[in-house]
Amino acid sequence: MNKTLDELFFYPLDTVDEEAQDVLHLVRQWADREILSKRQEYRENIDPLFIEKRNTLNLTIGLQRLTLPEEHGGFGWDHPSRAPGIVSVLSEIGRADASIGVISAMQCAIFAVAGMPLYSDAELSNMLASAYCVEELRTSSVILPGTGSADKETSLFLGRSIAATVKTDGDGFTLNGFNMRPFSSGSCADLFCVVCADQEGRPCIALVPGNDRNILRGRTLQETGLNSCANAEVSFNGVHIPKSHVLIREGVVEEIYAWLNLFLGSVSVGVGMNSFEIFRDWAETRTIKGGTMMKENPLCASVLADVADEIFTARLLLYNLAHMMSKPEDWKHGGFQRIYTFSQIIGSQIQQKIVRAINRGLELMGSAGYAKEWHVEKHWRDAKTIQSYLCGVGAEAPVKMDTARFFFDCKEI
Amino acid sequence: MKNFDEFSKPDEYISPMDKHLRSALRNWATKEVMPYRRKYDEDWKEHHLIEPAFDKLMGDKGVGVQKALFPPELGGWGIGRSDYAFTVACALAEEVGRADTAMAVAFMVTYWPLTTILVDPHVNWRLAKEFAPMFCETDKAVFAANAMTEPQGGADIENMDILGGKTIRTTARLDGDEWVINGHKLWPTNTGGVAKLFVVPCTTKLGSHDPNDFALIFVPADAKGVTQGGPYEKAGMAADKNGDIWFDDVRVPCWYRAHGPGMDAQVFREIIPWGLVGSMGFLCGAMLNLYEILYDFVSTKTYNNKPLKENDAIAGIIGRIAGDIDICRILAYEGAKMGDRRNKPYGYPLYSDEVACKLRNLKDFVSDRAVDIFGKAMDVLGAYGADREYDIEKHWRDIKIIQLWMGGKQLCQMEAARYFFNCKTL
Repeated sequence: MNKTLDELFFYPLDTVDEEAQDVLHLVRQWADREILSKRQEYRENIDPLFIEKRNTLNLTIGLQRLTLPEEHGGFGWDHPSRAPGIVSVLSEIGRADASIGVISAMQCAIFAVAGMPLYSDAELSNMLASAYCVEELRTSSVILPGTGSADKETSLFLGRSIAATVKTDGDGFTLNGFNMRPFSSGSCADLFCVVCADQEGRPCIALVPGNDRNILRGRTLQETGLNSCANAEVSFNGVHIPKSHVLIREGVVEEIYAWLNLFLGSVSVGVGMNSFEIFRDWAETRTIKGGTMMKENPLCASVLADVADEIFTARLLLYNLAHMMSKPEDWKHGGFQRIYTFSQIIGSQIQQKIVRAINRGLELMGSAGYAKEWHVEKHWRDAKTIQSYLCGVGAEAPVKMDTARFFFDCKEI
Repeated sequence: MKNFDEFSKPDEYISPMDKHLRSALRNWATKEVMPYRRKYDEDWKEHHLIEPAFDKLMGDKGVGVQKALFPPELGGWGIGRSDYAFTVACALAEEVGRADTAMAVAFMVTYWPLTTILVDPHVNWRLAKEFAPMFCETDKAVFAANAMTEPQGGADIENMDILGGKTIRTTARLDGDEWVINGHKLWPTNTGGVAKLFVVPCTTKLGSHDPNDFALIFVPADAKGVTQGGPYEKAGMAADKNGDIWFDDVRVPCWYRAHGPGMDAQVFREIIPWGLVGSMGFLCGAMLNLYEILYDFVSTKTYNNKPLKENDAIAGIIGRIAGDIDICRILAYEGAKMGDRRNKPYGYPLYSDEVACKLRNLKDFVSDRAVDIFGKAMDVLGAYGADREYDIEKHWRDIKIIQLWMGGKQLCQMEAARYFFNCKTL
């Protein structure tokens, strides 16, 4: 009899409390009943079903309020100690659909930076609560620094170009940034979290409601994966935002990267786990060399072992990172640099491992791995898209620079 | 380096037709494919955009490549009888693959079954004359397919040396002067309603591993009893349609068999090197295009306010990418040379375990490098890597299946182990 995924891909159970286990159970039911058992129908009617399934998850089950404070009607998972629970839930969502997972991860990361009582001010908390504790589906998006253009110098975040700027304007700020590429949902987001530079060129974060008329959205992009996220380039043409919507505290950009590494790593691990289920099913039902069950052939078994190895270690690293990030005192006194660096290292490793696992597993499925009806090709495209967005700007070079800077005190790279 | 043409290839062994062919194909690619290829994914079923481009590549009023293998006396270019056949095939695969590997696959696979009857020393003149008008006298692209893979065994059918065809379930029975064929095939390139002609690997005795019972029989797609399913929806390779084919009591003349007992198995083994060299050509073409796109990106986009290519760490990555492209191209043409220059310089016979093994090795290596460097290139592009507008992601999706097909990576590894280590039970 097959072992359960949790038995196979061990993780420290004691880091996920009873309440989190209950929520996880609900989300797993949603994943199995709403999507995984209806893959074909879901794929063929993706546009309406994507919204329908998100509605069930976010409004019926209520995950839209997961990381908001209880006093505002949320679940109260608004503290770093909740990180392992959030990781479990996002993994389960990613197991069902990476696009839904990514949108959920974006929201969790934004709220972690802007909504945790550790940092947030009342005005900002109220804004987030009133926007998200409603019976209407919300979508948020993050715009990170990235590549710059050779014809224009910009402010930098550890080498990455910051294309948006904020300037003080009366009692608030004005945001400008043109043709910026969000991580997801550019064409439909109702809240943008934009990494920008202030007048002194310091990296900071602006939270921008999506309904401002000075926000221009480009056409929806066609991308390798995550197409249900409906991404598009976005321009902010002198958008006025209240003072409380701009987070200037030291280390805030490192924080958003750290949370994104954790939460997107969760989604990717979920993608890897469902890919594992597909590969397992394939290896138990296909024969080679005229009759040997695929998994019983030593060469195929060694490929399957590599697949399991990558996913297993990715999941262990993920919970390790969650544990590391769950202690708020560790973030203080410059601790964010350490957490940021570790999150970059582990986040990058997780993405590489999941992409590698699916790439290897596909080798055993031959052409079927490539056919949409077997579903694993979607996981392959989605995982690669997450990796390119999260780790990109010259491939792994920035992560390596962050790592070298931390471990070797490099001053000029 | 001035442009992608300067990636290494052994000029000493290049066909005299190389320059002319490349020029014609590059012109075709620039006009007919490059401006439209980003829309091909949505055209996977109907081929409204893709079909006219194929006509201009393959048909008589275009470049006309579909008649290349046929002898000049039948209206072709005579490549099948040239000592440069593999090298020309590699160049064709590369040039078309640079624009779209799926188009390259679809048109090259048209050659695949025809090599069994048009390539020296196995020219079957009666069949060549029978099928020449279909390919040489039309403005339209005409496709052929090698209906090989079966539902139960996957790539087992390619494993002739070990399994000897014993897993084949498609049967051919001689009834008077006709073959009667029954069976089910899936996934061949140019199915899904595309091919006008199939070659069907089948058995005259179910369960036999005697090579004399293996048969290769040509079947026109409009023969009574042939049913083609619709194309599969795939991760990429939209220009290459794949589907199911059923043969229900399909009757064809007895002389539609490629050669006869024993020789059919022999020519079937000989088509494998064509597929392997073609695969390397497709991959090299895609990699040359990757270089073009990447060069532009790393020259105009910045990290630390300097062009990406001027950062030492990123230069290390893109330098490795370009180096791999160069090595892969050298290996691809070396593989083609093994096919063309029989007895010199490698001294290989027309077909041997050694040729098959070494070409599978090369294809496996080039596939692995391609999968790796496309993945890396997408990461260099970061947020733009997954964007269809940058074209690299399309190649990334397309080239993965080249690694998977023809028995995939594991068959390559097994053949290498058997050959180099004299394994007896694998």
